[in-house]
Amino acid sequence: MLFRDTVNIAIRAVTANRSRALLTMLGIIIAVGAVILMASIGKSMEGVILDQVSILGPRTIAIWPGNKGPEGGSGTMNPDYDKLTVNDVDAIEKLPTIAGISPVIFVTGKVSYGSETSDTRAGGSTPDIYEIQNIELQEGRLHDENDEKDVRAVAVLGTDTALDLFGNQNPLGKRIDIGEQKFTVIGVLKPAGSAFFQNMDERILVPFSVAKITMQRSYVDMIAAVSATDDLEYAAEDVSYLLRKRHKITLPDDGGTDNDDFLVRTAAQAQDILGAVSLGLTFFITMIAGISLVVGGIGIMNIMLVAVTERTREIGLRKALGAKQKDILRQFLVEAVMLTFLGGLFGLLIGIGINLLIVGIAHKFLTAYIFKLNTFAIVLSVVMAAVTGLAFGIYPARKAASLNPIEALRYE
Amino acid sequence: MNLYKSYFNDELETPVLFDINLKIETGEFVAIMGPSGSGKSTLMHILGFLDVPTKGHYHFKGESTEEKLEDDLAHIRSESVSFVFQQFNLLPRTTVFDNVMLPLIYGKTSPLKRRDFVMQAIESVGLKDRATFYSNQLSGGQQQRVAIARALVTSPEVIFADEPTGNLDSASGKHVMEILQNLHKKGHTIILVTHERTTAEHAERILHIQDGRIIDDEKGFTRRIASQIKQLK
Repeated sequence: MLFRDTVNIAIRAVTANRSRALLTMLGIIIAVGAVILMASIGKSMEGVILDQVSILGPRTIAIWPGNKGPEGGSGTMNPDYDKLTVNDVDAIEKLPTIAGISPVIFVTGKVSYGSETSDTRAGGSTPDIYEIQNIELQEGRLHDENDEKDVRAVAVLGTDTALDLFGNQNPLGKRIDIGEQKFTVIGVLKPAGSAFFQNMDERILVPFSVAKITMQRSYVDMIAAVSATDDLEYAAEDVSYLLRKRHKITLPDDGGTDNDDFLVRTAAQAQDILGAVSLGLTFFITMIAGISLVVGGIGIMNIMLVAVTERTREIGLRKALGAKQKDILRQFLVEAVMLTFLGGLFGLLIGIGINLLIVGIAHKFLTAYIFKLNTFAIVLSVVMAAVTGLAFGIYPARKAASLNPIEALRYE
Repeated sequence: MNLYKSYFNDELETPVLFDINLKIETGEFVAIMGPSGSGKSTLMHILGFLDVPTKGHYHFKGESTEEKLEDDLAHIRSESVSFVFQQFNLLPRTTVFDNVMLPLIYGKTSPLKRRDFVMQAIESVGLKDRATFYSNQLSGGQQQRVAIARALVTSPEVIFADEPTGNLDSASGKHVMEILQNLHKKGHTIILVTHERTTAEHAERILHIQDGRIIDDEKGFTRRIASQIKQLK
């Protein structure tokens, strides 16, 4: 018997009772739809985070005081907030593995221009920060070494901050208040979107020397460094080693870093964490898919058993006309696989449809959230749907194939 | 051959056929006649490879069929024999054309030749203009003719007809029997199962079965004499 004929018979059987076929497929449709949706959302989120990592630059190394990272708080909430000193910065800068460095001291205090206020936090850093973080200028100028040397109270604003404080006015040359200190606006940055869920357009950059004096501090809130080599881990290890030596920290025998009073992170590490998260997500999705496909498969098996009973006479007739056992077996198997495969395709379309909707909404809040398909999940779930049909179709198909032709023909 | 057939119901053996000794020549038109429950259908099922004897030998075309497997029997059903049933057994919601084509998809006929074979078979039962109709749109007589076309399409050596007129009015029944007669004339072996004498009369040989045994075998010469006597009376 030709495979084409088997497929034709299956198509006829499936289309003969469309509403039942659709209901039968529902379990598979939901399973595949959910998997496609979840996997695509995961992929889109991954894209968002990767995009944010890349804003920092692929060679960026971030160093924070305290060993809990930025979540632990980089202000006075952090018990180790004063552990990274200006001297540490100088020492790190001298490392051969570090190409550039820019320390950050946050200038606290209310930001205002006349009656307009902004809750932006101002960060004092050296001009190197512009290069390290790929910050681009829209109008005016960025602060430079001369501003640092002369300790000029100048400020560069992000676009959103400029809009908050000045509306449609030209901010250049205007003087704003940050805490007790007045700063002259010298530049406005290009819109940069968001990174790590922070709005990068809501920022104020001032010279490091000014921030140091204003805050009367000799310690820094963060250091952004650029590795001189592609081996970020090596550079990061270099920095850690230097800081441990300077801070007289000995590591416990197990090599744990609990004693550190600083934290060094690279963009690559952020990506590793991302990888681990997405691996977890993949595992989770696969589990959901597995469970729902089994449930869907039981539904298919149930309907196929009903179909075998309903079509007992037809099976008897086909056998009387010369159909071999394997012809009947194949016919019902192909029908089951067709149901699950079609269910998989419908689920795929529905999953993509809902995902497009979500992307449409989410893109308004997260510009980097764009439509992405997880091709691996698509191929896997549709294939798994078809395999489900095969697995759960085999029992009813065997039952059909083993029917005795005479008894089947007499069946009422 | 000498056949025995029993049905087994759990541990209860219900013998249906006893010591059937029978030889049917190629090209014969044989009627198996008997009251219901006599075993005539069972005999036909065994002869048609739908069933296997419990005991005994059955040679088909000089070949023993004992050691044959289920798929070998399916192969014989596909190539050498075909059936016309009392209930027609057409696929509903399926066209006449597709119904007639059904046996071909289980055989070796090339897909390119199918159309011609199917149309020939449909024409030979006089339903050419009904080929695209759905089987359930036809009358009983027409449906049985479709079933005959389906039996013809593979050009089998033997056609089994199990009470082919049982569900038909007398006019349709007559038409169906004429078609079977014509097939016989064309050289097909026809084995007809019936409980009606009038239907059996169309055959050239009548086997009478009762309680699982052949009680009478009216063959050519005897038949002619018998019918002549009948006419004289």
